[in-house]
Amino acid sequence: MDHGARLRWFARDVLPHEPDLRKWLAGRLRGLDSCDVDEVVQEAYARLWTADAEAIRNTRAYLYVTARHIVGEQVRRSRIVAIDLVADLDALNIVDEEMNVHRRLSGQEELARLHEILQTLPPKCREAFELKKFQDFSQRRIAEHMGIAESTVEKHLAKALRLVSEAMKQAPAGAENGKRRERKFWKWG
Amino acid sequence: MEKGVSASSGNGADIDARASAWAIRSAERALGEQEQKELDSWLAADSRHLGAYVRAQALWLDLDRVAALDGGARRNPSPPARKRVWRRYAMAASLAVVVAGGAVAYDQLAGRVATGRSEVRRIALEDGSIVTLNGNSAVQIRYEDDIRRVVLRRGEASFEVAHNSERPFVVSADGVKVRAVGTEFVVGIEDDGVEVTVEEGVVAIAGRASGLAAPRYIRRNEQFVAAATGPRKAMLDSADVERRIAWRKGLLVFNGQRLGDAAAEVNRYSDLRVTIDDPTLARAEFMGVFKLGDARAFANAAASAFNGEVHRRGNELVLVRQQNSPSH
Repeated sequence: MDHGARLRWFARDVLPHEPDLRKWLAGRLRGLDSCDVDEVVQEAYARLWTADAEAIRNTRAYLYVTARHIVGEQVRRSRIVAIDLVADLDALNIVDEEMNVHRRLSGQEELARLHEILQTLPPKCREAFELKKFQDFSQRRIAEHMGIAESTVEKHLAKALRLVSEAMKQAPAGAENGKRRERKFWKWG
Repeated sequence: MEKGVSASSGNGADIDARASAWAIRSAERALGEQEQKELDSWLAADSRHLGAYVRAQALWLDLDRVAALDGGARRNPSPPARKRVWRRYAMAASLAVVVAGGAVAYDQLAGRVATGRSEVRRIALEDGSIVTLNGNSAVQIRYEDDIRRVVLRRGEASFEVAHNSERPFVVSADGVKVRAVGTEFVVGIEDDGVEVTVEEGVVAIAGRASGLAAPRYIRRNEQFVAAATGPRKAMLDSADVERRIAWRKGLLVFNGQRLGDAAAEVNRYSDLRVTIDDPTLARAEFMGVFKLGDARAFANAAASAFNGEVHRRGNELVLVRQQNSPSH
């Protein structure tokens, strides 16, 4: 697979499992705070990226098992120090395929969710994002359109991506049986 | 832009911020040598950086898909208003655009853009026109004050031209010149000769290799081929044209083509090749829609359509009919 095909595979087969994986990790490992979960997910993605994608039959299970290995390694290296964690590790031994599987959003639900997330972006950030993704403008055209430097456009887009990706760490509200999000994610600045 | 993505060490959120910045930059353009070095060394510093970078890139790519759904929603209720068609295509086509960091050679000075196999690349030009490059294709963009020139070096490209009668848009390919003021068309250098298909508007065709004494106008749903045997023109219906340009959306559409021809088209985008040894099977008519590069899905669909089987042979997926299955 070339780089682009791999990215598409990642977007299609891996990313949708991330909110569940995060929830699963956080729920089972009391010693993990959200930073640790970020760390485990980043490390797992790095390993998944370098793995032979064609050989992975069940991406979800592979992702969970990889994450479990990483947690185990980190415990051994004492990067995560928590007494009750070691006991909880046993809970990670079983990867239940059906556990906590959120239903996939339909296209229109995905779109609605994106619009909802965009509402929470700072205005310029959001404008740059919308010109880029909905109007398909180049950064140069966005710069002209908004009357700002191209490098500023790049910064707005990077921030927009970061904020959107932060929001996407959680399972979409619609897929969670009506449970409200209670945590606040946005860190401005 | 000249400076690197700002450096900071540390926690997951910082890593995500830097990963996002790199993802945005590498999706927009090819990184400069210095930038590439900087990115490489950042990635090498910690495997988590790679994970975050992959995540940011995949998400950024996937947002094109979600955003394109918006275009679809607007399109559905009423028949298309042809005026703004290039923009809607723009959104639809962004569906499967490969954002390959470093994989696309774009020499800004020379204006040359090339794609590899299994890759479709959209290029937004400064005047609002859009060039979409099919796999294994190359163009050179030479904009001047009074003329917008694009040279198709190899392969195939589609053009969505922003209207500007003061500044004509001229595509040359192997000595054939296609001139447009505001339209959409596809130019391909095929085995048979240069092929021009018009989706919208009118183009004028000329040039020494066109075989034409005077410029000839080609309109919507018409196709011109500058073949060695002489120029010819064909009428297509809009479904043919849609099919012809489906690659721009990252799709291959077959609608009664021969299976053998369809496989050849699939193989154009895939390292894994579909082979049909059985001539009867190769002549069978086939329908289906596939993602570019997904040879496996194609082979499986064809096998189930014709009660056949797929055998793996090295880098090939061999399609056979069940009753004719070879003994191995």
